[in-house]
Amino acid sequence: MKAQRKIDVYALTWRLPIILWQLLFFVGPVVFMIVISFFVVKNYRMTEAFEFVNWERMLTRGYFWDSYWYTLFIASLSATIAMIVAFPASWALAFRASETQRRWAVFLLIIPFFTSYLVRTFSWYVILAESGVLNAILGYVGLGPFKMLNTHFGTIIGYLTLTLPLAVILQTITMANIDKTLIEAARNLGCKPLATIWRVVLPLSKTGFIVAALFCFILAFGDFVAPFYLGGSQEPTLPILILDTTKSGQQWPRAAVVAIMMMATLFTIAFTAIVLAYRKPKGTNA
Amino acid sequence: MTAPLVTFQNVQKWFGDFVAVRDMTLDIHEGEFLAIMGSSGCGKTTTLRMLAGLETPTAGEIRIGGRLMNDVKPHDRDTPLVWQSLALFPYLTARENVEFGLKMRGVSPNERKTRALDWLDRMQISEFAERNVATLSGGQKQRVALARSLVMEPQMLLLDEPLSALDANLVIRMQGVLIQLQKELGITFVYVTHSQSEAFAMADRVVIMSQGDIAQIGAPKDIYRAPANRFVAEFVGRNNILSGKVTDIGAKGVEISAQQGTFVAANPNRPLSAGQSVSFTVSADLVSLSTEEPKTKNKAQATLISEEFIGSIVTVFLEGAAGQDYKVQMQERALAALDLVPGRDVWLSWDIENANILESDL
Repeated sequence: MKAQRKIDVYALTWRLPIILWQLLFFVGPVVFMIVISFFVVKNYRMTEAFEFVNWERMLTRGYFWDSYWYTLFIASLSATIAMIVAFPASWALAFRASETQRRWAVFLLIIPFFTSYLVRTFSWYVILAESGVLNAILGYVGLGPFKMLNTHFGTIIGYLTLTLPLAVILQTITMANIDKTLIEAARNLGCKPLATIWRVVLPLSKTGFIVAALFCFILAFGDFVAPFYLGGSQEPTLPILILDTTKSGQQWPRAAVVAIMMMATLFTIAFTAIVLAYRKPKGTNA
Repeated sequence: MTAPLVTFQNVQKWFGDFVAVRDMTLDIHEGEFLAIMGSSGCGKTTTLRMLAGLETPTAGEIRIGGRLMNDVKPHDRDTPLVWQSLALFPYLTARENVEFGLKMRGVSPNERKTRALDWLDRMQISEFAERNVATLSGGQKQRVALARSLVMEPQMLLLDEPLSALDANLVIRMQGVLIQLQKELGITFVYVTHSQSEAFAMADRVVIMSQGDIAQIGAPKDIYRAPANRFVAEFVGRNNILSGKVTDIGAKGVEISAQQGTFVAANPNRPLSAGQSVSFTVSADLVSLSTEEPKTKNKAQATLISEEFIGSIVTVFLEGAAGQDYKVQMQERALAALDLVPGRDVWLSWDIENANILESDL
């Protein structure tokens, strides 16, 4: 018994920092946020209270729900595009590239993360502006100029800057671990090369792909930079709404309501995705 | 004899500088059980993969039913393969696995369900039809893999060491299943293995491969009793190999003078001339041991080195004149009756017809 206790103390000592960290910087703020969502603001000053007025104000307003559904939609769209655009590259890296090529590719895909996302976003200005690189090139073939900054397109480009390298890395690692014999077995049973993607590769990559899509969604859903700088807040996403709310009349409690709604949405979606990702194939529990 | 189902004509397969199959010419007949046997890297699996279209020959021609197959894609062939790893789809049930090939061929859902269930029933695993394959035992998975290939009703079934993952008892059981299936269906089985016991127990003909070449083709018994060359003699069974020069060719046999003595071997199917160097083999189980000098012509004296006891049969290892190794297989009780101790000299003897002159010395 004594030995047992000793080990517990030892283990606890090492666990303590992470537990404290989580309590201080995650659980604490969340609780605090929930509490202040019931506070009220009088004369631009936040006062302690327990009133539902902020919840009522936010959740009955059209602009909140417009923003909510728009954020949900554009984050899902961006995650879908990221997964589709990433796929051919990941497929080639997983099945056509050599082990060495794959290692280099993963390394190169990590490099974008060396630079601040904000810097990478601003570099798009040069490319997407009306007198920018892309429009200049399109101009040569008699197209455009197109308005690309301050549009939904700009927002999506921003999101992809953040998520695409990650999508390629996660997809590649997932597919590189597939037993190639299963693809050959499918070919051997009459499956055409392209059809092996649906019949073999995707079913075997389910867990990795759902996790990759989830990451793309979460990053886009909570991102402030892309919709603000490239999307020009045309239609405010929830992170922009939070900023606007805090700025206009010190409405921290109302911003807290938006943030809690975001957290709840993310929790629900992440939980559902993980359940789907790790769901056992049918016939396992028979 | 009718035209062969499969012909390999001077087929070569290179992977960069590595030659997997050097120059293969081989006929596979309709309805035969052919085993391709050899150690790893000998080219046996590459040969099978070329039949399935998973590898393209570097040179030469492969024909199936007369049709040139070199560039026919795997999915356009009728050559289902039973994989060493079984390669069952882990996200599907046993029935869905069996239905896979039929689905690819566009067979209607009802028909493919009926046909899949028929085969699962035939393989005696219908009760597991709706179970995920990951939950099945090794033997059950094996049967699903067989059903998945055979439900396609192919002319030829390819098998790549399908029994290597099973334990010894199950291997014997599955061998019985395979032999019976092949007889009932009357289709060609091409069975790749490194296991001599599997190949010899099931196949009508065995192809022995070594470093990309065919070392010998023949019925198991012929290969066992009359290996064509030194490689086969050493690879298959337990053979004593002796070398010498031909001194006399008579009606009773060929007289060979070796360092270990003068021996008489059975007349081979090829012409020999006096003075020619030859080697001959005697199977370990065809050599007799005695403590007294035998009266026969073929005899040698040797010293007992060790015994390998694996049940009722014992292999005795001996060393004779000129450092020659001998192996003798005999009943354990027969050996016990001789009352031998290591280091003691004994006599070996064998009959003329059991001394087989090799076709080539390689």
